[in-house]
Amino acid sequence: MADADPIRSKPPELVEHFFRHEAGRLHAVLVRLLGVQHLSLAEDIVQEALLRALRAWSMGGIPPNPAAWITQVAKNLARDALRHGRMAASKEPALITEAELRSPGPPAGADGSDAIADDTLRLMFVCCHPAVAADAQVILALKILCGFSVAEIARAFLSSEAAIERQLSRTKQRIREAGIAFDLPRAEALPERLDGVQAALYLLFNEGHKASAGDRLLREDLCREAIRLASLLAAHPVGDTPRSHALLALMLLTAGRFPARVDAQGGLLRLEQQDRSKWDRALIGRGLAELGAAARGRELSEYHLQAGIAALHCTASDFASTDWPRILRHYDQLAALKASPIVALNRSVAVAHVHGPRAGLDAIAQIADRRRLEDNYLLHAVAGELHWRLGENPAAAEHFRRALQLAQVGPEQAYLAQQLERIDAK
Amino acid sequence: MSPYLLFFRNTGPDAYRQLSPEDSQRLITQWNEWFESLVAQGKAVEGQPLEPETRLVSGAGGSRVVDGPFPEAKEAIGGYVLLMVEGWDEAVAIAQRHPALAYGMKIEVRQLTPGCHLGVTTRPRRG
Repeated sequence: MADADPIRSKPPELVEHFFRHEAGRLHAVLVRLLGVQHLSLAEDIVQEALLRALRAWSMGGIPPNPAAWITQVAKNLARDALRHGRMAASKEPALITEAELRSPGPPAGADGSDAIADDTLRLMFVCCHPAVAADAQVILALKILCGFSVAEIARAFLSSEAAIERQLSRTKQRIREAGIAFDLPRAEALPERLDGVQAALYLLFNEGHKASAGDRLLREDLCREAIRLASLLAAHPVGDTPRSHALLALMLLTAGRFPARVDAQGGLLRLEQQDRSKWDRALIGRGLAELGAAARGRELSEYHLQAGIAALHCTASDFASTDWPRILRHYDQLAALKASPIVALNRSVAVAHVHGPRAGLDAIAQIADRRRLEDNYLLHAVAGELHWRLGENPAAAEHFRRALQLAQVGPEQAYLAQQLERIDAK
Repeated sequence: MSPYLLFFRNTGPDAYRQLSPEDSQRLITQWNEWFESLVAQGKAVEGQPLEPETRLVSGAGGSRVVDGPFPEAKEAIGGYVLLMVEGWDEAVAIAQRHPALAYGMKIEVRQLTPGCHLGVTTRPRRG
């Protein structure tokens, strides 16, 4: 047996989500080397590289630079795959060169992180290509860019693994057929493509944030991933636009308030009940800085307005000092820019705060397309609350009961049941 | 204190293919914690994973050399840990705490003996 001391000083530990984020980064590197049409092969190789790391790193053996280690393994596996002709059926010339494969992994410095950002951004433009449907974009991004497993995605979306698997393979086929290139879009196509990426990240964030169903911790991870990708986008020369910064600001100013959303028992807390000292001031500070960066230029997008509303909530020292008239003005602009029943419903809450509950109910009654909201528990929760404030208890109870029927998540149901008790106690 | 060897079997890629990246990372972390705490207590002397590549040498004069890995890869040894513990009970208890058991890994526990029954010269490691 070896005489050398086998017990090194304590090995480095892997940072949180290291494997998940490495999977995303490696997908980007391998898709660049293998081509977009070999997305599935890239996934197989990444999976294999992670397994090798698991094997080699167990028992106290994490190498000093795990990212470089795993990149080299993945590149070696890619070379083996080429040699064994797994890509022979392809008419595409192999984009991969021996020299490239032999080069060490990206250095862990400023130079390397630029290359990584480029590859990740390219992959973002592939996943969020207009040829792919919006829902499919989010699921593909979670799998490819964020390193989520099919099982995790299924849990987050309350779907079955088989259904997610089917959708992923359809999406990948669609990408192959559409012949999407692994490139940053050219200048003339950039604005439209950028809109698509921003919309997908917005959707990804909302999937995590709306908490309508699914595993709560996992869903917070979705929000964190959306923030990570939006930060990358806003920091990259290609994505550095006021809209990108506004989108990132909106995410940060929303996520900054997450810690106060629920009480110790996991029950939902309304804005006025939240302990504002629990808000994440660092995130909120970053969000306000991003909102500042978003103010360059003249553009006022829906992200700007939503981030502006979030900022007004974040900067109010308590609920009573919330600047509702300004929030209402933002909602008015938002409704003019991008009308939707949900925006109109949120606007009616601001109306109620500025002009009283009766005006709020009138605003709800005037929502165009209100029928599309009839099955949304929020409509009834808001209406119930406004009726209750007017002392119209039977109407309030009716709305809360309807909301309770429609709500899907435990905490929301518990909250509504509590409101009903409050009325009954009167 | 006596030396025991833990052999890890059924620890090939197939056992872990279904793990998400998060689960893999969690398993590495737990596995390392299991090993590191044994090292800290002086109970684990060494341990390493084994590459799956195998040569099976047999026949007089080593006339037969077969390349592995073999179809029954599940039974292949994927790694080992050398323990220095009080006895069987402690060695087994340590094996029982291994986090990869949840994923189908099997651990064979064997005691090292200072003398060979054939009378072959041995050189036990000095603890």
